[in-house]
Parts: sequence; structure tokens; C-alpha cells
Amino acid sequence: MRKTDDIIESLVGELKPVPRHGLQRRFVLGILPALAVSLVLMLTIAGLRPDLSQALSLPLFWIKSAYNALLAIAAFLAVYHLARPEGSQGRFFAAAAAIFAAMAAAAAIQLLLSPAETYPALILGSSALHCPFLIFAFALPVLAGNAWVLRGAAPTNLRLTGFIAGLAAGAAGAWVYSWFCTENGMPFVLIWYSLGILLTGALGSLLGPRLLRW
Amino acid sequence: MTTAHSEEALKTLMLLSLDGDEAAYRHLLNALRILLVGYYGRRMGAATKADMEDLVQETLLALHSRRSTYDRERPFTAWFFSIARYKLIDHHRGRGGRKLAETELGEDIESDFSEEAVTARMDVERLLGSLPEKQRELIRRVKLEGQSVADTASRTGQSESAVKVGIHRGLKALAEKLRGGA
Repeated sequence: MRKTDDIIESLVGELKPVPRHGLQRRFVLGILPALAVSLVLMLTIAGLRPDLSQALSLPLFWIKSAYNALLAIAAFLAVYHLARPEGSQGRFFAAAAAIFAAMAAAAAIQLLLSPAETYPALILGSSALHCPFLIFAFALPVLAGNAWVLRGAAPTNLRLTGFIAGLAAGAAGAWVYSWFCTENGMPFVLIWYSLGILLTGALGSLLGPRLLRW
Repeated sequence: MTTAHSEEALKTLMLLSLDGDEAAYRHLLNALRILLVGYYGRRMGAATKADMEDLVQETLLALHSRRSTYDRERPFTAWFFSIARYKLIDHHRGRGGRKLAETELGEDIESDFSEEAVTARMDVERLLGSLPEKQRELIRRVKLEGQSVADTASRTGQSESAVKVGIHRGLKALAEKLRGGA
């Protein structure tokens, strides 16, 4: 066994200055390229929704986009805090619950304003069965980016960090997917998008304790 | 906690180390090594000495490789003991948790270093710093360190009533400062 004195000397010998904001930089370096990969995958495999130019003028499209973007931002912020040993998730769960509740309210309003015969289209649409899995697939590059970032950081609650990192990747994947998805039902987004995001979160919480140990 | 191992002293060393100061880093690691021996010694019960030395080394290595996760704006000891605690739990987990029962993962000693405790202590110190030295010393001895009025009187060479009056005035001045939002 090496003596502690020797270890201290070798660490001192290896000391290099650490840039300020090194952790922020690592997040940017890990997540932005991963998000770009996910976008390119979406554009090449699926493509933008054909009616995008009309959709851009629909509030529904932007509500869908904002739901995923806000969830992703809240989750990434929590992961950023959890990446430090003394960090905690802060108010992430309250924020996520509030975003989900706002989406649920939007879904309820849309259902109230719509005739009952449109409910199947608003709730199940035409893509309910594959939507969560495509979101999951587009989330994988971002999940890999998260894992790379966190393996160089120092999270101490590995399962929770993995779970929220999975939710962040899932929400980012859902946001990417929303540029392709033609569904205009808010209940659809509430159910099937959330399912895809949770699926990625579940994978994250499974992988966390294995991948993030240090 | 001696002055050499206070939050302020350790944080100063850490900030210098992050900028590449080797002498400061050597000081820091040696000071932390002593703190870790105490920290793990209290928690590992019947563990062998070699086991503990192992853990101390592993923690210092972890500090080295994860030092970019230290936020310069936040207390150093809270960061450092979070690593120590993580390494202790990981150490027991690595042994299938068999020894976990022997470990006291209590909050007693860490609480000295928890972020709130450290910030609270810094706030108190800042407030005290605004008092005349005589009052500050009396408040520190009696109110913070818990010495008796009689002890303090004999150690500072004052009468007991002078000590009481000094503390009373000091606390009153502090209360006014707090009310004034100073």
C-alpha cells in the first residue's frame, strides 16, 4: 500500500490550475452537442412535420414546445446542482409538478371547449402507441451527454441524480420530437409525452448507481 | 476545530490550490488528512488501521480529481465533508453493506461543517466583528463557547458584574444592528 505522504506529494506534483466555471463549461460541452445529435437524428429519420409553417402560428404548438422546454430546463438545473457533492435537487419536484399541473389545465380547457367526438383525436391521436418510444429514442443522445458530464462531476445521490438526468434527457428528447409530431391535442401531450419522459427517467434511475459511481 | 482547520483557513488554501499554488495545496491536503483521520476514526469503529488509511487516501484522491466541482462562492468544509461521507458510504457498500451497522452515519460531527452551520457561524462572526473587542471577547466566551461567567471573569481579570454588564451591552448593540438591518 502506498503511504499517504507519497500520495499527497504526487497529487501536489500533478496540480494544475482549475478554470473558474469548469463545471458549467462541462455541462455546455456535454449537453449542447448531444442535443444537436438528437435534432439531426430527428431531421434525418423523421423530418419536420409537413405542416410546420401553419403549426408555428398555433398556440397549441408552442404550448407543447414550452411544456417540454420548461421541464427540461428545470431538470437540467437540478442536475447541475446535484453534480456537486453537497448539492441537492432544490425545488425541482415542486417546479415539475407545477409545470405538469399547468399542462393538465391546458388539456382540461381544450377538452371542455371541444365536442366529445373529437376526444379520441385529442387524447389518442394517431401516434399514441409509438410517441413515447420515439421520445425515448431521441432522448438517448442527451442521456449519454448527461452521463458523460456527470461522470466527471461528483454527484453523491446517484439514483436521484440518474433519475432527474433521465427526466432532463427525456424532456429534451420530447422537445426535439415535438418538431416532428403532428398531434395538436393537449391531453395527448400530457399523457404520451409525459410517459416518454418518465420512461427515460426510469432508465436514468437504473443506470445512475452503476454509471455515476466515483 | 483549531484555527488552522477553520472553514476560513481551509477555504483560503483551497482557493489558492485551485489557482495552482502547490505549497498551499500541500498544506491543505495535510490538514484535511488529519481531519479525515478524526472523521473516519469516529465512524468506523473496529475497522483496521489499514482500512482507514485506505479511505483517507481515496478521499484525498477524489478531492483531487473532482476539485472542479467546488464552487468558490460556497463553504469549503461542506463540500469536502460531503465527499468524505460519500466515500465512507461507498466503502461500506463495496463490502456488501455488511459493516454498515458498525458505522454511525450520524449528523453529530458533520453538523459542525454543514453548510447552514458554517454560514450561520460566519454570520455570527461578522456581526461580532462590529463590536468593540472587549464585548466581543466576553460574548464569544460565555455565549458561544459556553464558559461560565465566573470563569470568564477570572480569566479576563474583571468582576463578574462587569462581565455581565459587558455581555448585556454587547447583545443590546447587536440587537440594534439587526433591527437596523446592518
